[in-house]
Parts: sequence; C-alpha cells; structure tokens
Amino acid sequence: MRRFEYHEPRTLDEAVVLLSEFGGGASVLAGGTDLLVEIKEHLRRPDHLVNIKKIAGMDQLSFDSSSGLQFGSLVTAREIEVCPAVHRHYRGLVQATNELGSIQVRNRATIAGNICRASPSADTLPPLIADGARLTVYGPDGRRCIALEDFFVGPGKTVLRADEIVTAIEVLAPLPRSASIYIKHGRRKAMELATVGVAVSLSVGDGDVCDRIRIVLGAVAPRPIRAKRAEEILQGQVLERRLIEAAAQAAMDETRPISNIRGSAAYRRDMTRVLTERAIVQARETIQ
Amino acid sequence: MKHSVPVTINGEAQELSVEPYRSLLDALRNEMGLTGTKKGCDVGDCGACTVLMNGKPVNSCLVLAVEAKDADIVTIEGIQSAPDRLHPLQENMMKYGGSQCGFCTPGIIVMAKALLDEHPDPTEEEIRFGIAGNICRCTGYTKIVEAIQATARELAVSRKDLAP
Amino acid sequence: MNMAVVGKSVKRLDTVGKVTGTAIYAGDVSLPGMLHAKIKRSTLAHATIKRIDAGKALKLPGVKAVLTHENVPRVLHYGSPHPRSASVTRDQYILDSKVRYWGEGVAAVAATSEEIAEEARDLIEVEYEALPALLTVEEALRPSAPLIHDTGPGGNLVLEPVIVSRGDVSRGFAEADLIIEGDFKLGRPVPAYMEPNVCLCQWDGIGKLTVWISTQTPFMVRGILAEVLGLPLHNVRVLVNHMGGGFGAKQDLFQNEFLCALLAKQAKRPVRMELSRKETFLSGRSRHSGRVWLKQGFKKDGTITARQARVTFDSGAYGSHGPGVTAVGTAALTSLYRCENVHLEGRCVYTNTPIAGAFRGYGVVQTYYALDIQMDEAAERLCIDPAQLKLRNAVREGDLAPSGHPITGHGLEDCIRRGMDEVGWPQCRRQAAAPAAAQAQQENIDRRLRYGWGIGCEMHGSSAYPGIKEQGNAIIKMNEDGTVTLLTGATGLGTGTHTALAQIVAEEMGVKFEDVAVVHGDTDVVPWDIGAFASHTTFMVGRAAQMAAVEVKKQLLERAAERLEAAADDLEIAGGMISVKGVPNMAIGVREAIAPRLGMPAAHLVGTATYHPTKSYSFAAHFVQVKVDTQTGQIEVVQVVPVHEIGRVIHPVAAAGQIEGGIQQGIGHTLTEDYVIDPTDGRPLNSSFVDYKVPLSLDMPPIRTLILETAPSAGGPFGAKGVAEDPIIAIGPAITNAVYDAIGVRFRHYPITPEQVLIALRDCGQSAARDDLAA
Repeated sequence: MRRFEYHEPRTLDEAVVLLSEFGGGASVLAGGTDLLVEIKEHLRRPDHLVNIKKIAGMDQLSFDSSSGLQFGSLVTAREIEVCPAVHRHYRGLVQATNELGSIQVRNRATIAGNICRASPSADTLPPLIADGARLTVYGPDGRRCIALEDFFVGPGKTVLRADEIVTAIEVLAPLPRSASIYIKHGRRKAMELATVGVAVSLSVGDGDVCDRIRIVLGAVAPRPIRAKRAEEILQGQVLERRLIEAAAQAAMDETRPISNIRGSAAYRRDMTRVLTERAIVQARETIQ
Repeated sequence: MKHSVPVTINGEAQELSVEPYRSLLDALRNEMGLTGTKKGCDVGDCGACTVLMNGKPVNSCLVLAVEAKDADIVTIEGIQSAPDRLHPLQENMMKYGGSQCGFCTPGIIVMAKALLDEHPDPTEEEIRFGIAGNICRCTGYTKIVEAIQATARELAVSRKDLAP
Repeated sequence: MNMAVVGKSVKRLDTVGKVTGTAIYAGDVSLPGMLHAKIKRSTLAHATIKRIDAGKALKLPGVKAVLTHENVPRVLHYGSPHPRSASVTRDQYILDSKVRYWGEGVAAVAATSEEIAEEARDLIEVEYEALPALLTVEEALRPSAPLIHDTGPGGNLVLEPVIVSRGDVSRGFAEADLIIEGDFKLGRPVPAYMEPNVCLCQWDGIGKLTVWISTQTPFMVRGILAEVLGLPLHNVRVLVNHMGGGFGAKQDLFQNEFLCALLAKQAKRPVRMELSRKETFLSGRSRHSGRVWLKQGFKKDGTITARQARVTFDSGAYGSHGPGVTAVGTAALTSLYRCENVHLEGRCVYTNTPIAGAFRGYGVVQTYYALDIQMDEAAERLCIDPAQLKLRNAVREGDLAPSGHPITGHGLEDCIRRGMDEVGWPQCRRQAAAPAAAQAQQENIDRRLRYGWGIGCEMHGSSAYPGIKEQGNAIIKMNEDGTVTLLTGATGLGTGTHTALAQIVAEEMGVKFEDVAVVHGDTDVVPWDIGAFASHTTFMVGRAAQMAAVEVKKQLLERAAERLEAAADDLEIAGGMISVKGVPNMAIGVREAIAPRLGMPAAHLVGTATYHPTKSYSFAAHFVQVKVDTQTGQIEVVQVVPVHEIGRVIHPVAAAGQIEGGIQQGIGHTLTEDYVIDPTDGRPLNSSFVDYKVPLSLDMPPIRTLILETAPSAGGPFGAKGVAEDPIIAIGPAITNAVYDAIGVRFRHYPITPEQVLIALRDCGQSAARDDLAA
C-alpha cells in the first residue's frame, strides 16, 4: 500500500480542521472497504487519512413511528441489515444491505460511506432515495441538510465539499399500508456490483389504489435516478397488471445505461423493465 | 512514522509497532508471525483473511492495524479452546473433507464460528449466505457446508447436555 | 475385495495443519534480512523496449537490486518445465527487450519493504515502441501479420499442426444418413487458485540456491533454474510444503522464479516475491480459448460413420503447454464415442494476449464440449434419446483409446446407465413447471421458469502418456519401531495425495495407517518426481509406492520368518501383526520382528521402486438439471448427479471432493467465468474477483456424487485410476444440453451469458440449427 499519514480526530471540529488543512490530499476513513481498496489499486492517492471512528455521537441507530429511522454515519451496513425496525419498515434497505459485498465487508462498511462513494451501482442508494432519505452534513460553516435525491452529481461525485463530513442519515417514517422493495441484478447471488438495481417504495390506499410510489433505478445512469414518468403512470391509479407493465416500460425508457464488462446497455435496459415490474408486484404483495 | 497499537490477539495483550499504512492482515502475519490468516486478494473480495474483531468477522486486509487499537482480535490460531483440543468446526472440516488445499480454510472456519455464534441452528441457505464472502476453488463448498451443519448439530447436543 | 485401509476415508495427514493455521505455505516463510520484490509490468500488448532506465530506482533508499533485460542472462527456456518433451515450448527469456502481452514483466526490484519496492518500481523508466497488437487468432494468422516470436514454425504458429487420421472420412460421410456440422467457440477461464504465486530465494555462501515455492513440479523448477542459471542440480534445492491450489497452471515457471533468484544473488540477501491477485490474473496461465469446428456423420440407427474436426487454440503470448494441450485435446476426438473414420487437425496460434497454459482438463474440456453437445444434437435429429445414442457409441473394452492403448471394461456405459437410474431418465426431461408447488409460488413467476435435464460424458487418462513418458518413484524405509516412512517427490496440491499414498503403503504392507508417515517436498531428499498433473499421482506414484511396499514387506517377512520359525511364504501381515497363515495365534508384531536385539543393530529395511505407467482411462457421466428464467435469461444449475468410474477408490471423501470441486470450476466455465481482453489494446478487463466471477457458496447446487469401481486398471494401485480432471470435462456439456432441454436453444459456446439466452429466445423461432450468438 502507498504510504500516508494517519489522524484520529476526537471531535467533528477537529476533523473538519484537518480536512480543510489538507484540502484534496486527505480522505475520510470510516469503514475503509472502498477507500483502502482504491488506495491499493492506485485509484486514490491521499497523503492523509482522517479516521472519524473515534468521534462520539455518530453511531446511534433508532426508529420511531413519527420521525422515522435515524442513524449516524458510523452505523455499518451489517447493523442496518440485522436491525428489527429496519426489517419491519424498510425492507428494501435490508434487501440492499443483504447483497452489499459480504458479511465481512458489511461489518466494516458504513451506509454513509456507501453514499459518499457515490458509485452509480451502489446498492443502498436506490432504496434510501425511494424511502425519502436526508443527510446531515457538518462543515466549517456548521450543519446543513441535504435530500439524498439531490446529493449525487455524477459517478463518484457528490455535492459534499472537501472539508465536510456526513454525520447522520434520516429516513422518513413509513406511511400506513406501505412497503419498500429493492431488487438487484447480478450474475451471481453474492459479491456482485449491480448491473441494475431497482427500488420501489409504495403506499396503497383503498381499493388497491396507488397512493404514493417512488421508483429509483441504480446502475443505469451516471447517478441513481427516479423514474418519474413511470411513477406518474401509477400515481393515483389502481395497480393492475397492464399499468404496472406500462410503468416498467416507462422506467426502462428513462435509463441511460452504459455497456461495460458487467453488461451491455441493451441488457440493462431490458432488466430495468423486468425488475421494475417485479419490484412493484412484490411491494404490492408485501402490503397485502 | 510507527504507531504503537495495544491490541488483544487470541486472548493475549500485545503491542504492535506499525506504520499507519500497514494492514491488520500484514501486521498479524509479519509482526506477530501468525501466518495462519492468508492473503488471497488483499482487497476484500475473497475472505481468506477473515478474523474476528470484537466478535465480528471482518476482512483483515481492509482494516489498518492502527484501527485495531484496543480491539479484541481472534485469528484461526485462537479458535481452539486448548492446545490439544480442536474446535468442533476444525474436527469436522477435516472429517467431512471441507479442506483440500487449505488456503481458504482459516478464513472459512473463523467465518463459520461467527456464523454459529450468531445462528446456532442455521439452515443450509443461512450457512451458504454466511460464507458467501469466502471463495473456495477446491471443494465446490459441498463438504464445507456439511462440516458446518455437523458442527451445529454437535454443539446443539452439547448445549442440551449442559442445560440444567 | 475387503480392504483394511484403502477405500476408507481416513483422517488426512495434511488437514490438521490446515484447520489450525499451522500449515506452512511458501508465503508463510520468513528469513532474516529478507527483501521484498516487485515486478514492473508493461502497459502495451506488443512493443519493443527502446530504452529502460533503472537509475532513479537504484538511488531510492532501501532498494538493494534491480533487474532489466540488460542485466539478466539471455537464455531461451521452456517456461513450462517438461524438458525433452513435446508438450511445451521453448520461447521465453527471463526478461526480453520486447513485450508480447499487456502486463508482461519488464523489470524487477528488491527492496527492504514492499512499499519501497513499489515506489522503486514506479521510478523505473521505460520507453516503448508499440508494435501492432494481434489480439485474435484471425489477426495473427493473416499473412501480413508481424511475427510475435522468432522461434517456432513461423506464421505465429506455436507448433506444426497436429494431424490425426484414421480410416477414410470421405467414405464415412458418404455412408451417413445424417451429417451435422457445428462451430463451437470456447472462452477463456482461468484457474483462479486461492494462493497467489509466491517464491522465496536464498543463496548460501558457496553458491547453493534454495527456493521455497508454491509449485506442482519442484523437480522441474530445480531442473530449469539450474539450466538457466548455469548450476549443477545438487546446488539447487526446492522446497514445497503446502500449496494453495494449482489446477495445472502451477506446473509452469513464471518470470518470478528466475527474477527472484537473480535478485537474491545480486543483493546477497534472501528475496521474497509474492504476486498480487491482479498480477496472478495478468501473468498467470489461462485455459486455451479458441474454436472447434466439428462435423460428424451418422447412420439412421445412430452409429457414427465419420468424424472430422479442426481445433484452433489461442496460445496467448507464449507457447507454454500449447503443444501438449493441442495434441491431447485434438487426439481425444478419436475416442469417447467410437468412430472408425476420423480426420482431425489441431492448431495453436500465438496472440498478444495473456498466456494460456496447462489447466485441469488440458484441451479435452474444449473438444469434448463440442463433441458431447453435437451428440445431443444428433440424438434429437435422429429421434433417439441422447442417453441411448451415447450408450450405443460409447467406447468399450478393446477399443483403441487416444493413447493407442486398448480400453478395458465398460466404464462409460456403466456411468450412463447408473445415472439414468438415479435421476429417472428420460422421464425427468422437459419439465415446464417447478418441481414443487410451494417453490413455484415462492418464485412468483412460475410460468417464466423452465426446467431441463442434460447429460455430459467424458473420459480422461490417468497419466500424460504417451506425450510424456512419465515415471513414478518411491522409497520406503521401515524404522526400528515398526513404523514406516515413505519418501516421495509427489507434490500435495491439496488433493489428498500423500494420504492416499500412505493408505496404499499401509494396505500393501499390512500395517496400520497411523504407522505410515510421508516425507515430501524437499528435492535434496526425496526421489525424483515429474510433478503433480495429468491425474497421474495416485495412479503412478501410488503404484510405485505399492511396489516399494512389496519390497519392504518381503524383507520384513524374511526377518519375521526367522523369529516365527516358518517359511516367509507362509506368513501374512494384517493390522501390524505378522502371523502364520491360518494360525492367527502364532503372531508377532511388526515392531517385534524388526526391533534391534542384543548385539544386533536396527535392521536396514529399504524398498525402492520405479513405475513407468502406460495409460488407463477414467469415465464420467454427469446428469444435470437447470432452471432458466426466460425473463432475465439467467441459468441456474439446480442439481448435479455426477457418476464417475475410477477403478478403485482410495479415499472416498477425497475422491468426491475432487469431483465436487471440478464441478464448481466447470459451472464457472460454462456460465460465469471469462477473462476478457479489451479488443482495442489487449488490456485485461477483469483481473479481480469482483469481475472474474467464480461460483460462490450460494451459486452451487446440491451434488449427489456416485462413484463406480467397475473397470479397475491393472496398472494402478489396487486397480485405482485418476479422477481429478474428469469432473470439469463432463459438467459443461451436461449444463448446455440441459439448457436445450429447458428452452429449446442450442448453444455452442461457453460461457453462456443471460443476455445471449434472451437474444436466442427471441430468435428461437427463426432457425433451430442456427449457431449461438457468441460475443
């Protein structure tokens, strides 16, 4: 591994000062499961690592039915994966973490890290966006809140400044009669980077009418995207097969996938349609 | 510049003296001479370097040694309870043929121990899910799964025997 | 025959170390003053080196030695160490002024830490002059193509074409009622052993080199290092303790071993070189990719009248095992299913891509993939059940095997029949629904899932004969307390070799398994061994061990005869007790028979044996069920029933383990593994486990292994034959034939991607005989 200096700030302010001082030459170290790989593969060459795991107050995880799910940026994927409240109310997020790397990776990787890495195929992003997540960010000018949906600019790029740290994530309280689903497409059943990821967050009113639906697609554009056209087709309508198929088709048309070793653009578009349909159906069945 | 890192390894208090960019895997193998934990890829894709860190299985290639300060680390060398008494996982891995070239074996045994600690009565699906991050190129996993299942059964029996 | 030790799954000798983490692999050895080495690699697929300058690297504190092509011996060598054999190619230099594949080593550095070695490596300056990169066989065979090598027959051929002819194919085709032709395209899987390549070299004060290394062929490593470095053999010592897998690929010397030894010599300190996983991909050995064009003629009743084939393998940048793989893969097509009229041609072509080498199955994975799929196609066209067609044509007692030897027994037929029984063939075929309603509901799209069954058959030889005239050696000595030590050069890849050898010795001698120890892995001490490959270790070294055991037993019984006052011929040994036949209470322990007595020192009982094997063949038929998701195109293997005939099982659990592991690799070959090269610049695109997808625990199906012992070999120990390579050959066509049963699409390539399945399903109506859409 390349040589670097190592810092263990005790407070957020200390951390922010270090990040400001080193500018682009420092990287935040939380779980390390992306950062250390990138350093070993010469994709990132920080001269300084700032380990934020000694900062108090960023490892809590709590849920209540009015304010929803709240967790600090040091909460790991594994903690989310096994949390009973997340199982009950944010099934899509559990499904996403189930397939993030391996258990060994999930015991270190943080959800915040998955977010900040901003890989277009990152698994936790679509379900979090679908469920209405917001980030709390701390910097030299204090705190600010950002909707996760607005956080991503492009592959590996977010609106986060070099001297800012994500400190907490909150997800909206689930609506009554709602469910969220995440389906990942990969060649194997584990250890995959998604070729396509589809998250659906659905709430249903009387008579099987779609009250609110969010469809978020991963790995098919430079950043996770909401399939708004698809959502419009179903919003306020009865969830019948024909409409669901039309929505899936619309979702497919909203994608801008690339071809790479994991899959061709054509196949990704196709799978977007197939998995969007399956995710909507699964969400509906979960509610019933 | 070397950092001094107090850490408990297999029940013994140790003091590592390491550069900050030294991985826990390299520190265990080189500084501590605990070569049982293997380097299969060094980037968290294969699980051969799995150790327990505060009871949780992690890829030690993706943990900096300095991050292990004050942590409780268990490696394959610390799995057995006594020098002459192997853990049932180790006995069964041999008996059922779950180890061929053996390179993935330490990582698999450590991961399986963590799995059984959390799920003492796993289904086959849960076992396969639990070791999904450990690559084996020799066995096809069939006998690894059998060994873990046999161990789960044995541990259940001995828990029953110990119950009041 | 009821055996005491052979046929039992005894506790293996090697696994205690493995489960406790105390087993020493080459990468676990550390020496005082040890330096760390790194290799600088090319970033072009084909280029000459105009200038290479290590000046800045040498100045970096901590750097102790640097090598470039300018300061290493210029000796052309085989890379793959089978001296004086036709299997390998002599076309490698340690470092050359030319690079022939992306990632080839151009320089090496030894320094006091890995980090410094990496920094130094990056300071070495290289100026390349790019040459046209020939990235496909087609490009390399064009008359205007530049030559990648100055050696060899020219035209970018690794060897002169292999031609195998028998009978008269023209007449055979003229007699046929049905002629089928097919073009099969084979991808590029790699062995992906879990232990990356590693070696440690140390010179002593008087010029002796000691090498700790992960290799299947320690004596070959010794031989070729000695030859290239100009040393007598007694001044090179190679040590192999445990190895983390090889699968054939670790028969070769890579650039590493030479560079490591020379760095150690220059630095006058031990040097350790461990490849990263990425480097293991880049500079390891892949399976030969390529094409097989196959044409067969059939009579209405299914008899094969003629077989013609053109096999073309992509060797990559160097020849390695190209000749052997081409010869064996091509010649294999003379057999498996009987045919009197064959004309086969095999070619191996250089390209500027990663080196292809020996890998479990050695050319036969490729050619039998084509053959067995075409048989399935013929069955359909002839309206004969595939199992029946294969039974009708299966090789049997008396037929000539590819080696030229007669086949004994009816192993293939036995396997097919047993498998048919086990799975309920042919009734199991063409299932359109999920096996159980509950499962169907869970799948949620039950009508979109299609199930099918297929068979894949194969045969493979135990030994590399006649391509290589091997020999197995064994030395056995009996210690004065009655325990036995076997000295063997056989390497332990993890297959359980040494345990099997100990079982054979114990069985032959009548002593307890626990009383046999095996010494291996030190070329200074153990008898010469050609190396662990070609599925020959149990067969060849086992037989030699058995023969040596007979020798020692004879000497032992002579000694016991004195003590028991009986004729040696009237004595027998069982469980460590020597008794007069029929008089069990007149017995003494082996220990007693051999023990020193007053005035008489310990007896010197030593047996040695050399065995020159010819050939025996093992057989297999794999019955596979697959599930195809017709919406996503994903193929899942639902269950595998592999049936193997191997003469005699020495260690049932170890044998089954070989079969199951070979199936994992074969499922990978067929469905998910491909080492992909960028067609614009020859750079490999998936040199990591993220994108080179080996099947994981969740991807593997239940496997119900059946082992038959119906055709034992007179040449093997207790009738045993090999088993290591058979499973990886049979599983591929079984999967692809099952996919045909499920969805009516016949693929003629591997790996089969989900996208290709979807495209084929859409085009399905157009043409049943249309070739697959290989990428």
